[in-house]
Amino acid sequence: MEEPILKIQNLHTVYQGKTETVYAVNGVSFSLYPRETIGLVGETGAGKTTTALSIMQLLPERIGKITEGSICYKGEELVGKKNAEMCLIRGAHISMIFQDPMTALNPVMTVGDQIYESLEIHNYDNKSEHELQERVDELLMLVGIPANRKHEYPHQFSGGMKQRIVIAIALACKPQLLIADEPTTALDVTIQAQVLVLMEELKEKLGTSMIMITHDLGVVAQTCDKVAIMYAGEIVEYGTVEDIFNSDKHHPYTKGLFDALPSLDEHMKRLKPIEGLMPDPANLPSGCSFHPRCPYCREDCKNGHPYLYEEEGHIICCNLFREGNV
Amino acid sequence: MTSLIHAVDLTKYFQVGKNRFLHAVDKVNFDIQEGKTLGVVGESGCGKSTLGRVALGLLPATSGELYYRDKNILLKGKINKELRKEMQIVFQDPYSSLNPRMSVYELIAEPLVRNHVYSKRQDTLKRVVELMDTVGLAQRFINSYPHEMDGGRRQRVGIARALALKPKFIVCDEPVSALDVSIQAQILNLLMDMQEEMKLTYLFITHDLSVVKHISDEIMVMYLGQCVEKAPAQELFSNPLHPYTKALLAAIPVPRLGVSLKHNLLKGEVSDPINPQPGCRFAKRCAYCKPECTGQDYPLAEKTPGHFVACELWK
Repeated sequence: MEEPILKIQNLHTVYQGKTETVYAVNGVSFSLYPRETIGLVGETGAGKTTTALSIMQLLPERIGKITEGSICYKGEELVGKKNAEMCLIRGAHISMIFQDPMTALNPVMTVGDQIYESLEIHNYDNKSEHELQERVDELLMLVGIPANRKHEYPHQFSGGMKQRIVIAIALACKPQLLIADEPTTALDVTIQAQVLVLMEELKEKLGTSMIMITHDLGVVAQTCDKVAIMYAGEIVEYGTVEDIFNSDKHHPYTKGLFDALPSLDEHMKRLKPIEGLMPDPANLPSGCSFHPRCPYCREDCKNGHPYLYEEEGHIICCNLFREGNV
Repeated sequence: MTSLIHAVDLTKYFQVGKNRFLHAVDKVNFDIQEGKTLGVVGESGCGKSTLGRVALGLLPATSGELYYRDKNILLKGKINKELRKEMQIVFQDPYSSLNPRMSVYELIAEPLVRNHVYSKRQDTLKRVVELMDTVGLAQRFINSYPHEMDGGRRQRVGIARALALKPKFIVCDEPVSALDVSIQAQILNLLMDMQEEMKLTYLFITHDLSVVKHISDEIMVMYLGQCVEKAPAQELFSNPLHPYTKALLAAIPVPRLGVSLKHNLLKGEVSDPINPQPGCRFAKRCAYCKPECTGQDYPLAEKTPGHFVACELWK
């Protein structure tokens, strides 16, 4: 078995406010192997982005803190690293694509300069400026933008083009691990399809591993190898895409997510929403955090950690599976 | 059947410079029966939101006619206050469409107070409570402010505001795009329940094809200000005719394995809506583009009963 490129164990991240503590990530563990894509799926407030920011060590200073757990990148512990050390890793080894391409780019720098910037920072083998500029052209071509547009500013590009530039910046230093935080949420469907296909091609070409953060189960089916369904800062279900989409054993929350989607194939009169709301992460319910909304909630769900069911790598965190029945 | 709202060649151009016009809505026709829903889909910049605003008279139309119960309401250019009560809108973003300094009570009571519906404060309060009940907001929120609520509840406040004056026609401008799937399903169910109860008529604007299919009776696909295809919901999805509709349907990532996006991938992007040349506006991206496609405009033609398409291929 290959060594995992990223191994997260029992990660806990909190945001410490003046009056309350927000428990954003509560014991997340997963491993990512080379050339694999893992999808982190969940709704607003599930802790997906916080997990990503914890890996990058980009949590807001003083407020955001990792209280427990470890993040190992290629056997190297990232938790507790100094900022200067992280700077060598960020961009060069692990890079991130942010959700909104409209705000992720600097409006007063040409796009060429923005790609050049990250190459220059991580220019460890002292390449000449000319060589770096050639690499900028190469990167633009890679993401499907004519190289002669590198002297233009972000506002001269459309949303889809801007996201391509953000991808070019993220890939500039050939990172081993790419974290994509809702990369296509701000884009139209036809452009989203273009960007997803592009990311898939680049991943194959460059052999990058990827963490895909999304709330869209359709995007997951298109891009991921493994899937982690997150709810209130925990992974409630984990498995391969086949486990998530084809197996009939699911966490009640996963089931609810699938049922709440309007279907394109069959007609139904009413949708089946998940009753209730996402819990307040500053005040999480006891026991299984999904229990107040769960239609199958039992007495033992209200206290203590739910049962961890595992079947050939498919993990479901739910008491329903305690006796093996569903 | 009586049509509640009926538009003929509705057009809206924005002037963006000397002799430069942005064709936001170009000769769009529609007809919505009372109690039915017309879904409008398209990508950003195709003019769907402008269409919604023109249909309510929030933006003056450049030309065209708009009939409400067989009366041309655009004649004087402005829609009068009485009519305005019957036509309402639910906005996309429940985070920015509510005044953060107003409580839920003030927000929902505002349309009632503005229109002097009740003379006594008590009656207003009673109606507000009734409305909160209709949209499924617990009464304990009556003195809450928007920031204290989540997106789903805020959108319920937005809907309650739209319902306050007992309208007949509501434009829903992407009412669920800012919401999570589980909450989205709650709001869609609410909108459909209210339609049944109050015989509301919706113009439902969205970019999400699965949502539009779920809620609409008829669907209109827009591209660069023009309607390229119009058909009953089931028909459009089972038998799309226009190449753009086909590409749009193929681009949706389906939550199922083994469906590849790579087939039928649309190349390029939406072209410039400023002073477009006559001809099919989709021609540049179209895989079936022929020389005849440019040079002349394509009006919608009825292919099968109720199914309209504007394309050279189906002439």
